[in-house]
Amino acid sequence: MLETGLILRALARNKIGAMLIALQIALTMAIMVNAIFMIQDRQQQMKRASGLDEANTFYLTNTIFGQDYNIISHLQTDLNMIRNTPGVVDAIQINAVPLSGSGWSMALQHQPGEDQDAVGSAIYMVDEHALNSLGLELIAGTNFSQADVEIRKDGQSTWPAKTIITKAFAENLYPDDWQSAIGKTVYISQNQPLQIIGVIKAMQAPWNGWNGVERSMLVPFHREAKGGYYFIRTEPGQRDALMPIIEKALAESDKERIIRRVTTVEETRKRSYQQQNATNKILMTVVITLTLITGFGIVGLAIFSINRRTKQIGTRRALGATKGQIMRYFMMENFLISCVGILIGSVGAVALNMWLVNSFNLSPISFELVAFGVVALFIVGQLAVLYPARKAALIPPATATRTI
Amino acid sequence: MLVMKNINKIFQTADIQTHALRDFCLQVNEGDFVSVTGPSGSGKTTFLNIAGLLETFTNGEFLLDGEEVGQLNDDGRSRMRNQKIGFIFQGFNLIPDLNLYDNVDVPLRYRGFNAKERKRRIEESLERVGLASRMKHLPSQLSGGQQQRVAIARALATSPRFLLADEPTGNLDSEMAQGVMTLLEEINQQGTTIIMVTHDAQLAQRAKRTIQVKDGRVSELEKVTPIMNQAIA
Repeated sequence: MLETGLILRALARNKIGAMLIALQIALTMAIMVNAIFMIQDRQQQMKRASGLDEANTFYLTNTIFGQDYNIISHLQTDLNMIRNTPGVVDAIQINAVPLSGSGWSMALQHQPGEDQDAVGSAIYMVDEHALNSLGLELIAGTNFSQADVEIRKDGQSTWPAKTIITKAFAENLYPDDWQSAIGKTVYISQNQPLQIIGVIKAMQAPWNGWNGVERSMLVPFHREAKGGYYFIRTEPGQRDALMPIIEKALAESDKERIIRRVTTVEETRKRSYQQQNATNKILMTVVITLTLITGFGIVGLAIFSINRRTKQIGTRRALGATKGQIMRYFMMENFLISCVGILIGSVGAVALNMWLVNSFNLSPISFELVAFGVVALFIVGQLAVLYPARKAALIPPATATRTI
Repeated sequence: MLVMKNINKIFQTADIQTHALRDFCLQVNEGDFVSVTGPSGSGKTTFLNIAGLLETFTNGEFLLDGEEVGQLNDDGRSRMRNQKIGFIFQGFNLIPDLNLYDNVDVPLRYRGFNAKERKRRIEESLERVGLASRMKHLPSQLSGGQQQRVAIARALATSPRFLLADEPTGNLDSEMAQGVMTLLEEINQQGTTIIMVTHDAQLAQRAKRTIQVKDGRVSELEKVTPIMNQAIA
């Protein structure tokens, strides 16, 4: 028979130790749940698809130092050479790479003029080979044609007439029906019209921490600039072998430029989320440490309580308690303390989350996570008290007659 | 009936072997009131612990109400203690955090009685020791004599066949001790068998039988009666 009532009444007369453990459990619960929530949030961020064919793509920087250098002519030569390399699917010149941390952004608005609401977007300058080179999925409209591609000189402030945008960007511009974006004219640099000719499924911006990371646009430009990226997509399984081959071929074909930083998109993603990964590890360490401290606290309190009540336990055994009943007593006692702690902790977890939501624009905590915290701490509590409870059960009934 | 025949109890440590009981023989019949006396270290408490199933014995035969105790496992001994034996300890051994009602409730919960039955028994046994009006008090709010009465009520609540008392008046002044002894005599008159370990020769004389334990033996050896032989057979 459970002794819930007796345990509660006994605990009520020895509140301090029990309350301290309950508060420790509450604090652990509040911090644990929110820390796990933040870890999950980051993990979800890290799992977001870049939109690129990451497994089969790489890029490199092309820095020109030669004087009187015909950039556009060399660009065509380079791209032709790369595209014709066996194992290469396609290649482009691009001004920035998703998740690399460095890139360009512009804002689009529905109407021309100043003081109009505008939505920010990452901007990628590419040609008609971009969809194929990056591995992007066109889900509405059409691709650029070769004729759409213009030459962009350094410092130029005009823009081409067409653009392809991501679905997330289209949803932002046209919340009622993103597909209606096709054919619409939007304005860049306040008053330069751009017609949206296509929508791609996804392509992330270069900045993973930006809340508009899913908003990107492609514009048909070849940049006449002394620095830039070549972005290459290979047949599956060919990337690693082709990286040094293409690097060498480019370097040898032209001595007036430097080929550097030959990098895979996978490596870029890894580097991009390095800080998030480190933060997650720190948060996980905090969660584990706190949980262990709470577990040890429970063990400590239970052992102290058992040592203090050795004679009482012997008396209970003398009065007919089996070892199992003694174990159950301490586990029930811990369960009741945990209940109080977890109840306070659940309120604390939600309150802390509300503060985080208001302060850091996080999403609200899920019921499932609170439920997980509840179950996890009950399990930790019961596991922690298992050894002391077993120790208590082994106190012999003859202890009752000993004069201690 | 409680029958012990040639019970030995040896405490063994790494270097020392202590023979606490040697071929201990005793028979306690239904309704007996036996006082057990003897000098310190004679084996009185060891006998009481074994008789109360608080401790196992090394060898010998022990029948409690016809059941061979040596065959029981720990849970079996716990159940038998709960069903057949009531304890009264020198230091009362009440649970300080529980009021009188809850203290008496403890062994009843181990028995598995329902709430109604437990309430009836608690009230009845506290009434019997004259403390029904104080059932919400904590042990610390009572005198020593009253605390021992609560311990007696707790022992009686389960309707035990045997009441084992370990120096029940050892922590009481003489007036309180007399009161407790009178209560024990009343309980015995109502049919409960009592075995009481005591140092107090005067109180021991109030029992129906007195045995003395010396060097782990009953000094005036109890004769093994034909009934006892039958019971052991």
